[in-house]
Amino acid sequence: MPPPTRSLEVAGVEAVGAYTLLRLRDAGADHGAPGQFFMLRAEPAPADAYLPRAVSAAWAGDGEIAFLLDVRGPGTRALAAARTVSVLGPLGHGFDLAPGPSILVGGGIGAAVLPWLRRQLAPLGEVRTVLGFRSDAQAVCAGLVDPGATVVLDPVLVTEPLARLLPAEATVYACGPDRMLEAVAALCAEHDVPCQLAMEAAMACGFGACYGCAVRIDGTWKRLCIEGPVVEAARVLA
Amino acid sequence: MSSPDLRAELCGISLANPLVNGSGTLDALAAGTLGLGAFVTKTVTLHPREGNPPVRIAETPAGMVNSIGLANPGLDAFCADHLPRLGDLGVPVVASVGGWSPSEYATAVARIGAHPAVAAIELNVSCPNVESGCISIGTDAGETRALVERCRAETDVPVLAKLSPSVSDVAAIATAAAEGGAHGLVLINTVRGIAIDRDRLEPLLGGGGGGLSGPAIKPVALHAIFHARAATGLPIIGMGGVASAQDCIEFLAAGATLVGIGTSLFADPGLPERALPELGGLMRRHGVEAIGDLTGIAHPQVSSSTRA
Repeated sequence: MPPPTRSLEVAGVEAVGAYTLLRLRDAGADHGAPGQFFMLRAEPAPADAYLPRAVSAAWAGDGEIAFLLDVRGPGTRALAAARTVSVLGPLGHGFDLAPGPSILVGGGIGAAVLPWLRRQLAPLGEVRTVLGFRSDAQAVCAGLVDPGATVVLDPVLVTEPLARLLPAEATVYACGPDRMLEAVAALCAEHDVPCQLAMEAAMACGFGACYGCAVRIDGTWKRLCIEGPVVEAARVLA
Repeated sequence: MSSPDLRAELCGISLANPLVNGSGTLDALAAGTLGLGAFVTKTVTLHPREGNPPVRIAETPAGMVNSIGLANPGLDAFCADHLPRLGDLGVPVVASVGGWSPSEYATAVARIGAHPAVAAIELNVSCPNVESGCISIGTDAGETRALVERCRAETDVPVLAKLSPSVSDVAAIATAAAEGGAHGLVLINTVRGIAIDRDRLEPLLGGGGGGLSGPAIKPVALHAIFHARAATGLPIIGMGGVASAQDCIEFLAAGATLVGIGTSLFADPGLPERALPELGGLMRRHGVEAIGDLTGIAHPQVSSSTRA
């Protein structure tokens, strides 16, 4: 069974440069692990955004769960203006935290999944972060992820600072646009470095029913909500 | 007045309540049956299908357009892996079957219909997301009649025809299915639609076109159900944009015996369990004691003149 949908009160909405941080009051709930995701829908549901939005938490704890949104259409606009939000989750498979050093790679709004991951990886070893953005306004969110992050702006690609860190005895965790993930996966494969990708696909349900979120995994179309959204890079490159 | 009786019956199959899922909108083996009175499987075809390349879904006003492309494990894997487990769900199972030729349908119907877990078979002759077969049968009255006739001969379980609203006269196709011996009808499948990428100005979905579902299509569904019921008198699983208990009661009034929920299950999997008590309340308000008493009450007593 999917977990029951909960109705959560908005604790705060604030701009983080080009993005929007949505904090929901959520005491005592199971927030799952970094990289898992939640289906979010403003209440009442807007007629022009009938489906919920699949979003991974930026962090959770202290009676709150926070999401960093790229407000672009009616669904995210309604979420940023909501007083209560319907929340289904946590869903899917999150990151597998490996002991030892880590390298976090984020592109654009893909950085949104990294703050919580970094907090959990920090006790396991050194964490280095490389982030790529299209604009200074987008890059403001780097401070939420890692104040010491290496940040590059378009047209410089995030693979450039990543290449300087490799080879390394580390696990790479990446989230961003598909083409960035492909490049990161290829680079890690070249250096034989384990790599986990947090992927994205349009989802209607988030719990395996709609078959909308097809992604090429293990050489065939699979449902990202069930197989992922975090997938070992080798399964995507196959 | 005693508490309303939500139990329903379709073609001799008893259900605890009149709500089912639309085919392809629930994986009950993964998600459970969500309180529904019966489970309808995703459409099974003779051979496995990967489905269409992404993008597969696009949100549209009050709904979505999908192009999944009948992704399914194929008949062998369905019979070996899925059917035995579907028997454990504790609700009647309707197996949905698709194909590219009458003999493909007949092969699948014979094998699936023989399995004890299957209470009824839905013939999907209305999927908009494959290039041939399926909807090209369901848009032709003669082919629909012949297909239903052939499939009925292959099984003892009730055979239901799932019809498309994207035809010029859905009542004529419904009549053809009835003449072929269909025990019941399922309507509507999605409405043919297309979504254009706002930046690239090209079709957004990987399959090109797709099928529109969600509250946007509710009046189209009610129209098709109303006229299919008037034309055939067959029991109908009515669906298309159902999103509330009030919608359920309207679908029953239009002529449905059971009500299917599809897209709304994606957005709101808790809907069936919330809607059932509300449905009881609505029955009380309308002075109805049994769910079956609602079926078709929107139809005038003399039903000769209202074809739209």
